Amino acid sequence: MLGLGVDRLQADINRLLASLFHQGVLDEQFLQLQQLQDETSPNFVYDVINIYFDESEKLLRNLRLLLMDREFSDYKKIGLHLNQLVGSSSSIGARRVRNVCVALRSASELSNRPGCLRGLEVVEHEYHYLKNMMHELFQLEQQRLLAAGVRYPM
Amino acid sequence: MTVEQNFEALDQFPVGMRVLAVDDDQTCLKILETLLRHCQYHVTTTNEAQKALELLRENKNKFDLVISDVDMPDMDGFKLLELVGLEMDLPVIMLSAHSDPKFVMKGVTHGACDYLLKPVRIEELKNIWQHVVRSRFDKNRGSNNGDKRDGSGNEGVGYSDQNNGRANRKRKDQYNEDDDEEKDDNDDSSAQKKQRVVWTVELHKKFVAAVNQLGYEKAMPKKILDLMNVEKLTRENVASHLQKFRLYLKRISGVANQQAIMANSDLHFLQMSSSLNGLDGFNHRPIPVGSGQFHGGAPAMRSFTPNEILGRLNTPSGIGVRNLSSPPAGMFLQNQTDLGKFHHVSSLPLNHSDGGNILPGLPLPLEFDQLQTNNNNNNNNIRNMNNNKSIAGTSMAFPSFSTQQNSIIGAPNNNLVVLEGHPQSSPPGFPGHQINKRLEHWSNAVSSSTLPPPAQNSNSINRQFDVSPLPQSRPDTLEWNNVSSSYSIPFCDSATTLSPPALDTTNPRAFCRNMDFDSSTNAQPGCFYDTLQTRQSGNYGPTTDAMLSSSNPKEGFVVGQQKLQSGGFMSAEAGSLDDIVNSTMKQEQSQGDLSGGDLGYGGFSSLRTCI
Repeated sequence: MLGLGVDRLQADINRLLASLFHQGVLDEQFLQLQQLQDETSPNFVYDVINIYFDESEKLLRNLRLLLMDREFSDYKKIGLHLNQLVGSSSSIGARRVRNVCVALRSASELSNRPGCLRGLEVVEHEYHYLKNMMHELFQLEQQRLLAAGVRYPM
Repeated sequence: MTVEQNFEALDQFPVGMRVLAVDDDQTCLKILETLLRHCQYHVTTTNEAQKALELLRENKNKFDLVISDVDMPDMDGFKLLELVGLEMDLPVIMLSAHSDPKFVMKGVTHGACDYLLKPVRIEELKNIWQHVVRSRFDKNRGSNNGDKRDGSGNEGVGYSDQNNGRANRKRKDQYNEDDDEEKDDNDDSSAQKKQRVVWTVELHKKFVAAVNQLGYEKAMPKKILDLMNVEKLTRENVASHLQKFRLYLKRISGVANQQAIMANSDLHFLQMSSSLNGLDGFNHRPIPVGSGQFHGGAPAMRSFTPNEILGRLNTPSGIGVRNLSSPPAGMFLQNQTDLGKFHHVSSLPLNHSDGGNILPGLPLPLEFDQLQTNNNNNNNNIRNMNNNKSIAGTSMAFPSFSTQQNSIIGAPNNNLVVLEGHPQSSPPGFPGHQINKRLEHWSNAVSSSTLPPPAQNSNSINRQFDVSPLPQSRPDTLEWNNVSSSYSIPFCDSATTLSPPALDTTNPRAFCRNMDFDSSTNAQPGCFYDTLQTRQSGNYGPTTDAMLSSSNPKEGFVVGQQKLQSGGFMSAEAGSLDDIVNSTMKQEQSQGDLSGGDLGYGGFSSLRTCI
């Protein structure tokens, strides 16, 4: 019974991942992360992604604060934040987030405030979508582990 | 650092290269750290440039290489680059998320050895040791211009700092028996571009035979040289080779008995020294090779062509060897010599499916065994070893053939001798059968843990899946938390039952294997995974046995057993990707690979083991 549960969960995980790849939300770099996970760092993917979430949320909050400010003019700072976002997003394989960050970076380099605001919204949207997907993935993983870890007499 | 320690470090280089990684972005830093560890470098990280400078200043010899991000809040990466270059003279690699050429230019003009773009890939990191080698070689070359002691064998030691170089020279003095001869050699070596002597297996066999004849304790370079009777081999070459050989023997004498050492030392020693020698020949001539493929092997290979002694390789006799039924395949053979034609020929009966990249030769089993006993993180180790050994492996592959096909190999082997000389018989006690057994053992281990070709995995990605609403299976799956309370988990040392509260409390936590399931929380699944991990080592024997012997046989085991006993990756009902992935997952359970098992990509880690 549980064997099937595991299978089903596994299938769900696969389907989710495949879909994310297909949508371009994730790319090969994410696979590299998975490959780096092994006995010496068994929770690597989870840890890294959580670090990413923490850092990115801070950055996004800062960005929003900066851009919402009417007197805002420090595009350089925005550029720095975005640089970091681009770097970390690409490092974990979050391709769509990275791409929209690059677009936002270009807008900030042109000192285009409305453009930046719009861009920021897109970034936030993509980021939250990614975060939700990751959460779902992690949940499935957790359940699969539990399912795999228990045996019933049949 | 003593001379011997230095040799140890050098023999393993680039393994253990000390890298300082600096990046204010925690995500990237963590990824970078893990990537570098996987390349077997020794990594120190910091997210502040100031701290990095402090670390560097406190001990100049503590690091070999610095990798730094460009845009950091507390200090401009370029500034750090300048300071490091000025004060410490270490190679610095820049990292950036900006691919703008003007930043790249800025990096280069500020003295960066390299400029990498994020996301950093492991292939790029595997090559960064070149910068260390290059910078040290240039340093040594500049300061040792008039130094005649840096003979061919000593080049490898050049990577240490000056003090050690001098210490090595002193040691070399012990071997000096004839001052005149030494001067002549030195004059020769300094007058012309240093001839790189490559210690092929043939040559090494002669060397070993000579040493044996003289008696290991009494062997002196001059006498060895005379016995070997090889043209154009200098006493210095022999001396340095002897030195390395002695260190090598000392190092492994604890591992195997003397007989095995002497017999297998041909191969293993050459493997070790090839990576060392490879560094020597690195700068000889720029050969257009793919960057990822030629680690330690290529430089040694390069030394083949420029060395006029080895011109014979281009003769028909070299080509003749190609016609052997089981010649070495290897990446390094993609070279402009005729040996390049060996490339795809490989007919040794090995079970692994990897065609061109693996040398179907003996070195692998030897290395593999040693790696297993060392309990390394085998994955990259083996792959790197294979890459590195490809050169040495060529010549090394020959002895394997000689054990299998003596008559065929005999003649062509002679033609491939680098230095002309009288061919000698095989070294005594060369345990061909032993090596063959190891070969089988290794290929069995490989076949039992191989994965399906990546093609299948990529199919899973390319399939067009919609994000369908996930089945409402979760309530069900969670319910058995309660039901299972009366059942014990197998393989658990404590053999206590599952306690639902324990599970429930762990549920909201992260799904990391260790966090949820470590023994400190006393959650049973942890035991399961831990013991499973310790028992599983690539085959399913122990696991199955454990299942059978468990005091609480569960029918669920039967399902598992069936899958496991199917002998590897493809389960009996294989057909759908899910089944395959499940088998992978079971296989990878020991690795607690969470997301990795999904598409079988976690299986890459065991794939690495195979390779």
